[in-house]
Amino acid sequence: MAVKIPNHIDELPTSSPRFIGRGVERVEDIGLITGRTEFIDNISMTGMLHCAILRSPIAHAKIESIDVSAALELPGVVAVVTGEDAAKWSHPAASSPEGWGTYCLPTDKVRFVGEPVAAVAATSRYIAEDALELIEIEYEPLAVVMDPVAAMADDSPLVIEERGSNVMLQRVFNWGDTDAAFAAADHVFSEKFRWNRLGANPMETYGCISEWDPNELNITVRGSFQSPSHMALGRAMTFGLPSNKVRMIAQPHGGSFGGKGGVRGTDISLLLSRKTGGRPIKWIEDRMEYLTAGGSQAWDRRYELSIAVSDAGIVTGLKVKLVDDLGANGEGFGAISAAKPLAAFTGPYTIGAARYDLSLVATNKAPASPYRGMGPPPHNFALEQMMDIAARNLGIDPAEFRRRNFIPKDAFPYTIPSGNEYDSGDYQAVLDKALALSEYTKLREEQERLREQGRMIGIGIASAIEPGVFDWNAYAIVGVQGTGVPEGATVSIDILGKVMVRVGFALEGQGQYTLVTQLVADYFGLEMDDVNVTMLDTASAPPAFGPGGSRLGVAITGAVLGACDRIREKMCKVVAGLMQTEPENIQLMDGVFGIPGVPEAQMPMAQVAGTMLGASHLLPPDVDPRPEATHVWTAAGRTPVDEEGRAKSYLTAAHAVHIVLLEIDPETGMVEILKYVLVDDCGTRLNPATVEGQTQGSVAQGIGAALLEEYVYDEDGQLLTSTYMDYLLPTISDVPAPLMGEVVTPSPFTPLGAKGCGEGAIHTTPAAVMCAINDALLPLGTRADEVPAAPNRLWKLIRAASEKS
Amino acid sequence: MATKHTVRIKVNGVNHESEVEARTTLVDFLRGPLALTGTHVGCEHGVCGACTVLVDGRTARSCLMLAVQADGAEITTVEGLATPDGLHPIQQAFVEEHGLQCGFCTPGFLMSLVELLHENPDPSDDEIKDVLGGQICRCTGYQSILKSVHSAIAKLRTAGLAAQPPLA
Amino acid sequence: MKPPPFEYEAPTTIQEVVALLRQHDGEAKILAGGQSLMPLLNMRFARPTALIDLGRVADLDYIREENGMLAIGAMTTKRSIERSELVKSRQPLLHASTAWIAHPQIRNRGTVGGSMAQADPAAEYPAVALALDAEFVIVGPDGRRSVAASDFFVTYLTTALEENEVLSEIRVPVLPARTGWSIQEVARRHGDFAMVGAVATLGLDGGSCNSARVVLFGVGPTPLRATSVEQALIGQAASETLFASAAEKADEGLEDTISDVHASAEYRRHLARVLARRALAEAAERA
Repeated sequence: MAVKIPNHIDELPTSSPRFIGRGVERVEDIGLITGRTEFIDNISMTGMLHCAILRSPIAHAKIESIDVSAALELPGVVAVVTGEDAAKWSHPAASSPEGWGTYCLPTDKVRFVGEPVAAVAATSRYIAEDALELIEIEYEPLAVVMDPVAAMADDSPLVIEERGSNVMLQRVFNWGDTDAAFAAADHVFSEKFRWNRLGANPMETYGCISEWDPNELNITVRGSFQSPSHMALGRAMTFGLPSNKVRMIAQPHGGSFGGKGGVRGTDISLLLSRKTGGRPIKWIEDRMEYLTAGGSQAWDRRYELSIAVSDAGIVTGLKVKLVDDLGANGEGFGAISAAKPLAAFTGPYTIGAARYDLSLVATNKAPASPYRGMGPPPHNFALEQMMDIAARNLGIDPAEFRRRNFIPKDAFPYTIPSGNEYDSGDYQAVLDKALALSEYTKLREEQERLREQGRMIGIGIASAIEPGVFDWNAYAIVGVQGTGVPEGATVSIDILGKVMVRVGFALEGQGQYTLVTQLVADYFGLEMDDVNVTMLDTASAPPAFGPGGSRLGVAITGAVLGACDRIREKMCKVVAGLMQTEPENIQLMDGVFGIPGVPEAQMPMAQVAGTMLGASHLLPPDVDPRPEATHVWTAAGRTPVDEEGRAKSYLTAAHAVHIVLLEIDPETGMVEILKYVLVDDCGTRLNPATVEGQTQGSVAQGIGAALLEEYVYDEDGQLLTSTYMDYLLPTISDVPAPLMGEVVTPSPFTPLGAKGCGEGAIHTTPAAVMCAINDALLPLGTRADEVPAAPNRLWKLIRAASEKS
Repeated sequence: MATKHTVRIKVNGVNHESEVEARTTLVDFLRGPLALTGTHVGCEHGVCGACTVLVDGRTARSCLMLAVQADGAEITTVEGLATPDGLHPIQQAFVEEHGLQCGFCTPGFLMSLVELLHENPDPSDDEIKDVLGGQICRCTGYQSILKSVHSAIAKLRTAGLAAQPPLA
Repeated sequence: MKPPPFEYEAPTTIQEVVALLRQHDGEAKILAGGQSLMPLLNMRFARPTALIDLGRVADLDYIREENGMLAIGAMTTKRSIERSELVKSRQPLLHASTAWIAHPQIRNRGTVGGSMAQADPAAEYPAVALALDAEFVIVGPDGRRSVAASDFFVTYLTTALEENEVLSEIRVPVLPARTGWSIQEVARRHGDFAMVGAVATLGLDGGSCNSARVVLFGVGPTPLRATSVEQALIGQAASETLFASAAEKADEGLEDTISDVHASAEYRRHLARVLARRALAEAAERA
């Protein structure tokens, strides 16, 4: 009998939800606000040692010799590992694309500044760092390649010689007849864009405590990982261990945003543990390590876009050429950020034909990692600029231009040329609401007035799809295998009718434990306090991926409601047996099981649970006597990609329109955001407060991307932005207070009609800000095509344009 | 052989006496020997503010202080805010207004707000932003934090706690 | 990012400080507020044999008015200066510049002496000191000496302090009557080090400029007096046009203009002209 997971809140066994759909206070917060939540660095274990990692000061060099003898002599130092140990006890890391991974400590050469070369385990981090200074390494410098276009040339120095090339992947995807669309077009517009490296930067860096028993050959790692099951499988592969000997315990962690990283550090600390006979080894990545060589860098891109447009302003074709600099190896899985754009390649538009000319290139920079949005934010930025370019050239207002190209609301589910299917949407409604909320007409009038005063005012409108609930097939084109991302939950009711829910992921900040509590409390008519959520590690948890790809809200809702439904089925059978009727006659409503309309035939859930657990002799013989069930949810209908990389990948498509009003000081190039309006449609909002929080946080990251954040390398491969003095995160003064509106177009495919929304606004914010900047620059006849739009860059453009005129 | 220095320090009203190396930072001392792990390390160069504590009632980056500098000082950390009877009003405000997500930066924000609201019970938004500009949050986008501050101001006023010294 | 090992000294008199400096033969570093030094120690970019903590030295934390000057002890925190009614009324330029420095949490411990001795080219205080003709009182093995601001900032992160000397006091003249002032800065974010900044004082007499100081920071290894700008103002009637044309000379004589990830040398030279103009305009309003 199929598990019933409602697609609509009305279908839940509650006459009026008290928690779902409300911004209830989070259950996670008491531990966090009192400072008691156990982040990884809070933990100490018996015999624990501290790891420090010696990193390459040079971007590309052969390792001639390593002498660790002096380091070993330092009191407090217990062990040192180098590439020799890595080669002995591990395999090169998994990567995307396949074959672009290396040993966690190199045996032959270093390929980027900050690459680990050796590591020390000592009685304190202080001593471990002292020991690093006693390790002597002789490097023979090699020619460095920092530019991806240069790296593609035949005579370029090779980052990984065995690959024979620096091109990790080169492929052209053709969806629909792009050539015909362009040939027939009334207009073709083309432009180049540069998006500079930036990345996640959660406030907590990565950390782990690793244990590798050298005799029993099993591994236990506690750490701040986003996806424990993924980490576990990766360690099993890297160390050639059977998967049942690898146990990962995720700690609550201080954010991740896709770029927590930490794989190398985990593997290095595991080597140290083995070398010390199994002692727990703690490695806490420091901030400079994170910035230089952690999961911190993403989206180093050169774009060329062309669109084919009719006189009526309809876009019929889109060509995107991308050279993506993935750095020195594929271990960070930064490549998946080049694949995800397929999930929403043509945005919210009816563009019928598209081409993706993709080159993934290795250079001597840090390996690229994922970052919130996983690739579409730069893609959307570029696409939205093209929409504006076309609109301007055709004399059509940018809002109106987008409206003409929107997928109409009766066209869903809608399959886009690159293969993904958008579940539902009402893009016109979102645009209308954004225009109304921002008083768009008045804004344009105000802009005119201020322009006459000589002020450089810009209004930007951007519209983007925010794909939700990822599947692995979204990344198939860069070598990631498989389909199906399961998320499981075990719901367990005790003898007094209180509930324990066991999940396989730890706190990361999005409030999913609260969501689980809301769901179960409403399902069984309980109070929030009657439900407790706890995490199991990979050895015991139901299948779980955890947060990522804007999936967990939807996935855990499916898992929890599925488990609740299974319990409900069981309890109906129990109650039916006790009341001597058929299970079909028993209904659950507001926490009570019974025959509808028969007041004497009612049994509160707690009583049913109490009976099952305390008086199992009363139960029918064919009923599973436990008031407990596990359900694993996966998105239905996910298929392998076809020969052009097409597949139904991300299950949901949230949509947003952002409108930004800003001013540029032409003398300094500084940007001030004067007004920020956004309207978001992410389906049913299961906890509006957490959704709003995700949106605001994502807007802030989008502002950082558009204006502030950039990793800069010099020509020798040294990272010039290796501290927070130079890598600039947005502060409270840099982020506007967004005026937010919502439209709700539920998903027909998901539990309760919710759509993935965790990544959210970053899909749209950089595009909107850059559209506004280019709108401000319009009277000068110049464009800002490089992100971030730092003041020095804008000033140069303004000056060059002023000199020309 | 590193010289040890005696540090006598009062943290959240409790006296401690310890021997430390000169180079041990205050944050490592609080988190290690004193097991007060509520104060977090985010950058170790004074920018992110996660490590902010009160030293003699004034905010300080504990990653930019040596434990030996704190000899004789009174420190307040996040662990000193709640009592067995309940959360500090500022903490309560954050919970009610969703002023935190991952919670890693939050103790630093709380300590900066304790100093601000003790000194200035009714700050303007500009004054709030001036103080909170020194605390970085990557999760919230700051708007809910501002709401939390407004709520905290009202709560402190209602409870007559505006003049409450930071250590009480 | 843990500091390397060092010895720690906590002297209680300034003479002890000098003696300890000598004892460590130039390999010791003064610990004042620590806001600049600690990051360097955590990153192991600084490797002193010892830290000499000024935090317990008596009589280094004061703000006094003496004979038309404000005498400020080297260990006076920026917070104290920010909250000093005396500084606000007597030296509003010094007072206002304090609010630009980093954030309150840093200003609580950062000291005026520390800033001056650090001599970061993009820092506010050294520029203000130069604009105000501050005096630096230095204590060394041979006793006390006074150095003018124009001689104190030698080059990038380097002052006139000798190996065994410590800064004990900064003296700034009280702002004269009918003198306007301004500090202008362009930074990536509020509280960041300036990309470029300008400090100006302007004395007006019947609408004519009878004194002018314009100091730029963030453009070269030290704060720089824009003497060409100043000379273009003296004796001239204050006006927007005058300030604009005078400010055009702000980048004259700029050598070794800094170029980094945030701002190119060319951009800085341009900002110098813009900010000099804006500083003069604002100073004129206040005169």
